Amino acid sequence: MTWYLVRRVAQSVAVVIGVMILTFILVHMVPGSAARAALGPRATSARIAIFNATYGLNEPLWRQFLSYVSGVLHGNLGTSYTLQQPVSTLISQRLPKDCLLLGLSTVLALAIGLPVGMYQAVRRARPSDHLLTGATFTLYSMPDFLLGLLLVALFSVQLRWLPPEVPQVSTIGALLADPRALVLPVVTLALVSVATFSRYMRSATIETLAQDYLRTARAKGLPQRLVLTRHALRNSVLPVVTILGLSLPGIVAGAVIAEDIFNYPGMGLLFYNAATSHDFPIMLGSTLVVGVATVVGNLAADIAYAVLDPRIRYVAR
Amino acid sequence: MGFRLSRPNGDTRPSRPRLRRTALAATVVALAAATAACTSASHAGITSGTNAKGTPQKGGTVTLAWQPGSAPNFIFPFVPAANTNGYNANLANLMWPTLTYVGDGAQATVNPQKSLWSAINYSDGDKTITLTLKPWKWSDGTPISARDLVFTYNLLKANVPNWNEYLPGLFPDNVSSVTATGPSTAVIQLTKSYNPSFYTGDVLSIINLLPQHAWDKTSATGKAGNYDQTTAGAKAVYAFLQKEGGDMSTFTTNPLWKVVDGPFELSAFTPSTGDYTYVPNPHYSGTPTDLSKVVNEQFTTSDAILDAVRAGNGPDTAPLSLSDIGQVRQLQSEGYSVASTPFPGVAGAYLNFWDTQDSAVSAVFNQLYIRQAMEDLINRPQIVSKVYDGYADPGNGPVPVTGFGQWVSPLEKKGGPYPYNPSAATKLLTAHGWKVVPNGTTSCAHPGTSASECGAGIKTGQKLAFQYLYSSGDPSTDAMEAAIQSSEEQAGITFNLKAEPFSTLAGSVAVCNKSSHPASGCGWQIVDFGYDPYDGPYPTGAGMFNTGGADNQGGYSNPTMDQLVNATEFGSGTATFYQYEDFAAEQLPLLYVPLPYNINVYKSNLGGYAPMNPFTGGINEQDWYYTK
Amino acid sequence: MSVLTPRRRARAKGKPARPTAGSATVGNGTAGSATTSNGTAGILQKGILRSPQARTGLLVVAAVAAFCFLGPLFYHTNQVRVNLNNASLPPGAGDPLGTDSEGHDILGRLMLGGQSSIELGLAVAVATTLIGTLYGAVAGMAGGIIDAVMMRVVDTLLAVPALILLLILVNVFTPNLPMIIVLLTFLSWLGTARLVRGEVLGLRTRDYVLAARAMGASPRWVLGRHLIRNAIGVIVVSATFTVSDAILTLSALSFLGLGLPPPSADWGTMLSSGLDYLFDGFWWTVYPPAIILIVTVLGFNLIGEGIRDWAGGDFAR
Repeated sequence: MTWYLVRRVAQSVAVVIGVMILTFILVHMVPGSAARAALGPRATSARIAIFNATYGLNEPLWRQFLSYVSGVLHGNLGTSYTLQQPVSTLISQRLPKDCLLLGLSTVLALAIGLPVGMYQAVRRARPSDHLLTGATFTLYSMPDFLLGLLLVALFSVQLRWLPPEVPQVSTIGALLADPRALVLPVVTLALVSVATFSRYMRSATIETLAQDYLRTARAKGLPQRLVLTRHALRNSVLPVVTILGLSLPGIVAGAVIAEDIFNYPGMGLLFYNAATSHDFPIMLGSTLVVGVATVVGNLAADIAYAVLDPRIRYVAR
Repeated sequence: MGFRLSRPNGDTRPSRPRLRRTALAATVVALAAATAACTSASHAGITSGTNAKGTPQKGGTVTLAWQPGSAPNFIFPFVPAANTNGYNANLANLMWPTLTYVGDGAQATVNPQKSLWSAINYSDGDKTITLTLKPWKWSDGTPISARDLVFTYNLLKANVPNWNEYLPGLFPDNVSSVTATGPSTAVIQLTKSYNPSFYTGDVLSIINLLPQHAWDKTSATGKAGNYDQTTAGAKAVYAFLQKEGGDMSTFTTNPLWKVVDGPFELSAFTPSTGDYTYVPNPHYSGTPTDLSKVVNEQFTTSDAILDAVRAGNGPDTAPLSLSDIGQVRQLQSEGYSVASTPFPGVAGAYLNFWDTQDSAVSAVFNQLYIRQAMEDLINRPQIVSKVYDGYADPGNGPVPVTGFGQWVSPLEKKGGPYPYNPSAATKLLTAHGWKVVPNGTTSCAHPGTSASECGAGIKTGQKLAFQYLYSSGDPSTDAMEAAIQSSEEQAGITFNLKAEPFSTLAGSVAVCNKSSHPASGCGWQIVDFGYDPYDGPYPTGAGMFNTGGADNQGGYSNPTMDQLVNATEFGSGTATFYQYEDFAAEQLPLLYVPLPYNINVYKSNLGGYAPMNPFTGGINEQDWYYTK
Repeated sequence: MSVLTPRRRARAKGKPARPTAGSATVGNGTAGSATTSNGTAGILQKGILRSPQARTGLLVVAAVAAFCFLGPLFYHTNQVRVNLNNASLPPGAGDPLGTDSEGHDILGRLMLGGQSSIELGLAVAVATTLIGTLYGAVAGMAGGIIDAVMMRVVDTLLAVPALILLLILVNVFTPNLPMIIVLLTFLSWLGTARLVRGEVLGLRTRDYVLAARAMGASPRWVLGRHLIRNAIGVIVVSATFTVSDAILTLSALSFLGLGLPPPSADWGTMLSSGLDYLFDGFWWTVYPPAIILIVTVLGFNLIGEGIRDWAGGDFAR
């Protein structure tokens, strides 16, 4: 097992390096000039030359890459061309908000999805199962911007029960101080993913319920409730961890559309604005953060698989 | 040399102008509210507004919503050249006012009450300026003095071009010396004679006065001294101030930024969102503000702004997107007033006369009759009334018909030289040897240079199909461009629309003219950035239409135009101006399109807001007060 | 049909042995049956016909497809000419669903938009399935270092932000349907590859496969004959989810302004333009595209879910 872990960690590092190289090449392939995007369409060639010289954009790509890497290893992710702030500062300002909102929404989706899934499994093929399938899948089929805007239109504008935007503060404490303002964004993000969890839980529970040893247990008088909680739930923990691991990159990457609608500039908008304006440092820094989160998440997911099914480990050798 | 006032780059965004307090030109025009009311708009609904009635109250908090992309990130008034964010000026100018303040109610004039000088005199053939500062004080009690002006000048002199509003040839290049002849009197020696109103109104209105006694230092712990008197020292001071000026986390705590002479001081700044809060500066020597707090809130999209306003507890004043014009009645019933003002600028689609990827396209654009045909096919009045509900300038020429008073020529008032006329367009093309295919693509059938042939550089079969780039994100713009594309099809002219986010567009489109047309930025054919603002009420075409002008995106070049533009820079008569204006309208260096108005909503009991001034966009926070 | 009969697990009558799990997880290989239900015909027979969900989904998709592709034969509208005089008219005489902000008839535009959306979804699903299946099967079969390298490549590509790719393409070409199909395929095949590889890993260890290998069958034969045929259920399910995800992604791209330019129509652009006028009461610009989009996506999701749930569980996951 340790050997497997070591191998996987080494592979993860290789993946991160690969991601950075690939991203580096790609960002420089976007047509257009970073200088002009930052300085505006009226920038004179003199100013463009100064800009390119300041940021080393005239050097060959491999040298730029190496100096970027050496910067990263010293903890310096560069300075944004358009926002004129250190990238690490920008990321550290925005990441907490994103993690909080997306983390909360994942938790909410789990909190709804798991019980719903279990219930559906128990009531399989009955009308309530179909109804819940219809409901969760309809939510899953909605574009998230539609759901968000409709919720805002109903609850903020029409009924005035909830604020239409996230609190405009910096610290997590301050964010949590106005829970009403977190309701709509968290609910929007959660509702579209409830179906993922509930479907998974449903099938996992059905599978568990069909196990021979449970038939035996039930025959011996074990109540259904205990069957569910003691066995079905326990058997789903590791796979749920798997799914969570795979959602980690999404949490760190932010959700552009939710940020747009609920007025909180997060990692998603940071990257989107940077991508449309050739802001290389932000693009690279953001990708680095998401890349690391991806490999960490994948690693967690794969370890869960390995723990769950020894044959995989065996076969993979 | 063009008197092109410095502007932050990239300010030709389609939605709103940079709301810096830009200067006014010499020949100032009184923007009568009457002019604004006599618009050609089909709706008489929204005008520049009338002031709220009722007794002014002391106190109250106003929350302003800023349009997307306005978050400031720099506090020191002189921003580095690499930082092109024009909204930093909005943050700084209320704490460190510029020498000249522009904007007085609805009038686009110099405002002596809010300017820092009590007297300004030009002598010696307008080469010497004697300026007397008002007996105002900095917030730590020190009086503002001529030494401050010398300090400001020294810093700029030693450090340009690292100032994002620097234009070669203007301040401080055109100054040979600044001397303090008394505690409050300074003498500025210019290198040549300048038009006094231009210099006072345009140049001095972007120079903020800096506190020498507090800022003349090279480190945070060092003492203030006279470092600025040597070039090396001035460089060190500037570098230090710029370094501190970019540290958003210390905007409210750094002792440097607590020394202000403007009506407000900064009490809160949130780096992650760009929101900031002002409170009144208790030591302000001018007319104090009645408000107790001004909160500036940033938004990600105009939808988010509208949602916040409609949700009830939101901003007290906000910009309204043209696509939400249907909301006006509802907003008025919810206690808001709505006011509009034209944007002072030129809206149009630039044509690339120096296309490096396809020179045939430029050859086509060089033919005036083709430009005329394209303009003939744009149904501007219909766009104004259907897309913008009447709240747009019709684009009859380079000068907006509303808001520029005497500078609007009779030709423009009549509707411009190219009213909507699809059959005229088709006639023009057929008369010059084109095979017109309505709803298809017209191509050249008779190449050659005679009067009935296509024109120089145009080969047989050359198609009238162009890539039309424009800035994405605004539904009204999308509708307008789609309408233009569709109506050009009537004569077989194909515009292949491509919408890109503004910064992506900026990154790929350069200024292309004879002396400079880099291949990497001159592959574009037609581009619509939104609009090009005028800096003052005198809408000269300098920089926009003259050969080699910094804003002449497509490199249009015509000796007659150059001559006429030159004539307007020094003359003040309307006859000379109309000559230039009509020529520019007829010559179509770009395809004129309607320019939507700036529309703001504000709480009905907010006094001092209306009437809106086109140059400040209604953002004069120090004049606001709540009424009962 | 293999000579050897695989071991069967005893299972309760009427209940499937192992229902499927979420598509992102690696299958828990179990001994399922290698009976006639493994072919595509078997899937159809068992899955679609037995499952009410799949039947409903199929009906819905068929109805929408008929509407979109056959509708314009009977109902002619001009979707290219902009007619501002007819902009934003409520449902009435000439326009049963009203007009949009450019004067286009909405009913006609829904048909046209649907063609783009459905074509896109199906094309992406087919391409993704082909590429992803091949890649994943090869990786799963090969095992060892080859598998590790191939999967790390997938991980790397997954971590590279899709937005950059999109921006490169958008800048170099004017976005059109084929380009977006290519882009979405490029993004989606990674998930399918992972999924198929997991399936193959699980199936590899089944007795009949081991037996076939012991008898000297070539890897290619094993791959084609056994592994892919047994994994086909998962692949089909994944393909249907790919269709719905592609349609939703296109709508998100349109919301961000990166979709198809005018005068092309697609539901996402119709929806996001319509939402701009939500508060103006132009409900006919919002709800028709929203409903048809949701219903279509839901239809595909139900097909996939139905097959997965009801096909008898004779294939793993």
